Amino acid sequence: MAESEEEVDVLVQRVMKDISNAFKKNPNIDEIGLIPCPEARCNRSPIVLVENKLGVESWCVKFLLPYVHNKLLLYRQRKLWLDREVLIDVTCTLLLLNPDFTTAWNVRKELLQCGLLSPEKDLYLGKLALTKFPKSPDTWIHRRWVLQQVQRECCPQGSERKEHASGHRGDSTPHSERLQRLLHEEIKVCSDAAGRYPSNYNAWSHRIWVLQNLAKGNLKVLHDELSSMSHWVSMHVSDHSGFHYRQFLLKALVTELSQGQNHPELACGRESPQLPLRTPAGSHSPPQSNGDGLASSSEDLHEATVPHLFHDEMELCTDLIETYPGHETLWCHRRHVFFLWHHWKQQQRRESGSIFLRPGDSCNDPLVEANGESANGQPMDVDGVSDRVKHGGYTQDSKRRKRGPEPPCPRLTAEHNFIDQTLATCRSPEQRRFATAYRKWLDSVIVLCVIAANSAEDLGIRGVSRSHHTLQELGTPHLTLSFSDLLTDTDGPS
Amino acid sequence: GTQVKDVVIKPDAPNTLLLDKHADYIAAYGSKKDDYEYTLSEYLRMSGIYWGLTVMDLMDQLHRMNRDEILEFIRSCQHECGGISASVGHDPHLLYTLSAVQILSLYDNLGSINVDKVVEYVKGLQQDDGSFAGDKWGEIDTRFSFCAVATLALLGRLESVNLEKAVEFVLSCMNFDGGFGCRPGSESHAGQIYCCTGFLSVTGQLHRVNADLLGWWLCERQLPSGGLNGRPEKLPDVCYSWWVLASLKIIGRIHWIDKAKLRTFILACQDEETGGFADRPGDMVDPFHTLFGVAGLSLLGDEQIKPVNPVFCMPEDVLQRIGLHPEGFLTSENMLEMSR
Repeated sequence: MAESEEEVDVLVQRVMKDISNAFKKNPNIDEIGLIPCPEARCNRSPIVLVENKLGVESWCVKFLLPYVHNKLLLYRQRKLWLDREVLIDVTCTLLLLNPDFTTAWNVRKELLQCGLLSPEKDLYLGKLALTKFPKSPDTWIHRRWVLQQVQRECCPQGSERKEHASGHRGDSTPHSERLQRLLHEEIKVCSDAAGRYPSNYNAWSHRIWVLQNLAKGNLKVLHDELSSMSHWVSMHVSDHSGFHYRQFLLKALVTELSQGQNHPELACGRESPQLPLRTPAGSHSPPQSNGDGLASSSEDLHEATVPHLFHDEMELCTDLIETYPGHETLWCHRRHVFFLWHHWKQQQRRESGSIFLRPGDSCNDPLVEANGESANGQPMDVDGVSDRVKHGGYTQDSKRRKRGPEPPCPRLTAEHNFIDQTLATCRSPEQRRFATAYRKWLDSVIVLCVIAANSAEDLGIRGVSRSHHTLQELGTPHLTLSFSDLLTDTDGPS
Repeated sequence: GTQVKDVVIKPDAPNTLLLDKHADYIAAYGSKKDDYEYTLSEYLRMSGIYWGLTVMDLMDQLHRMNRDEILEFIRSCQHECGGISASVGHDPHLLYTLSAVQILSLYDNLGSINVDKVVEYVKGLQQDDGSFAGDKWGEIDTRFSFCAVATLALLGRLESVNLEKAVEFVLSCMNFDGGFGCRPGSESHAGQIYCCTGFLSVTGQLHRVNADLLGWWLCERQLPSGGLNGRPEKLPDVCYSWWVLASLKIIGRIHWIDKAKLRTFILACQDEETGGFADRPGDMVDPFHTLFGVAGLSLLGDEQIKPVNPVFCMPEDVLQRIGLHPEGFLTSENMLEMSR
């Protein structure tokens, strides 16, 4: 097909019109795609609309893309004037074919700033582009910018997400509802993109950004997300990004819950109901029987305390590791959850006047277990019996009783038992490799972390060093030195 | 059993370095530009040129590229604000500003753009929390922190921004596994780790990373095939092999991986017929993976290639010429010294 310039011109104009007509005809198009088709079929438009799917026949792309691409660049260099309608159509066509063309998104940002394009329409275009290109960095970047614009519009000058009765511009929908809608839509877009491409870094880091920016400190959202993710991660045991999101949720929840527990007054006026410090025995509704504790209902989680969260998470992790042997992602998850738990535990111990932990709790310290002696000279609590007794008052709900006599919290000895059991029973070489690496990680990172904290205490500087114990503290030279020593025998961690 | 996500290297896969083929591949790459392919990748043209020129320089073949045309192209991509775009008519961005400054450094020709304006542009992108936006629209990412300080370091103007705050932000993206993500709370990712360790090297703050913990995570990226992936349970890839390897070099832990196996993997990613490297054995080659394949082999000590600098991904002799010595690569020895 040797097309003259004029022929291409006519063709492209027609195709662009067909695309914009398709959107007018069906405002619910939910997916785009390329239809492999090397030759044009006479007089048929290359734009195919079937139900909610918009397809472009591949033969036309090699004409279409360079054409719209060059049009936009001429406009950008002020060598060609395009009016609003054309600009919207050109950028739309361009971005559906090549969504990482940053400059095209920028042109749309300018249209949006002038009020010539609605944020929702723009988000919709991005959503469609992501159905074909679920990783496209520039599409995600553009979404964040648009969301920030809407947020600014809804809560000017940093005023919190309160409902302003006077919805300006005659908008009958309160701003908070609009933001709610956007939040849920955004989470849906992320889920969809995560399903289309495994370990989709951009989709999951966007989802984290969304929670950090559109749902900051919102316990209900955090709980709902954790709850809905249980099922998702169980179906995607290799998706490290999905599991990392779960770790993010857990960390955020622990932070929020800890603040509520240590400072009950802070819990007042939050978006979620004040959290009970202790869950009354037997107050929970029975768990959904289908998932064997995998999918706790959102309401169930609402009353969860931090130890519950960790216990449930470790249980989920154990289930998955046993059901799907040899997945690095699951063992990484276990490390992170144990680390978070350990870190939280240490923080709790440091909090003076904590109402959550009692004096005897210190024998829960992983270091103490590792050394075989508790801080106050008691023999180590190997099987976790005394631990259960201590915590029994507030952890024995119906769910837990149903599960049988498990210790309520992750413990270092239990982790070692789990590893030993895995090595003794599992024949998958990968599973054995990951279990061995996990043991080495526990022995090095966690134990040394405690040694560092405790030696600071021995020196009588507890208040200073421990209250600032952060991740970076792991990197103190003292620790690095001991850590290298541990590694020298094999010259590497594998 | 579970299938490990990895590749199998076939017995007949290339196992020697085909330098001449690679040079021919890169030299010819720009000339046969199909309209459609060219259009699709124009949004990153400046980085594409940097990849091609750097790998040519590492192979000591830079003279085969059209220097004058490239310098003129870069000049035409600098905007009023000082920033540089991927190509003519595109919007300026920090990513392409760094690529342009790297190219000009290869050619020892920084004078052909307005350097003061570039500095002004980079400076203007720093935020109150120390982070850097990629362009005027405000996206934040640790990659941009690296682009900012690498650009300024090459221009000898590192002191133009608030380094203390910049370091603070990058450290706030450190995770429990010792790695870094794109923003606080984001997952560790080998590409982001490369940017963050590179950033800390340029700013002289490498002692702030836990080299053993991070080194551990990086070593766990090596798969049975010898190739490295960028995150758990991803396939090995030549470009991640570079980012992981360079990070290990920067933090002084390169001896923790099996170098011979990695070399075998990288060599197997060559295309014997067309030249060039692909992401994995048998895939299509491109200049991006060709640079990172050759640079990786250089870091592994291949003497047919010029030594590469792990932070800037440029030949060491270029950095020496402009008087840049990004010292402070951690070695086991100076780590011990620091801890005393």
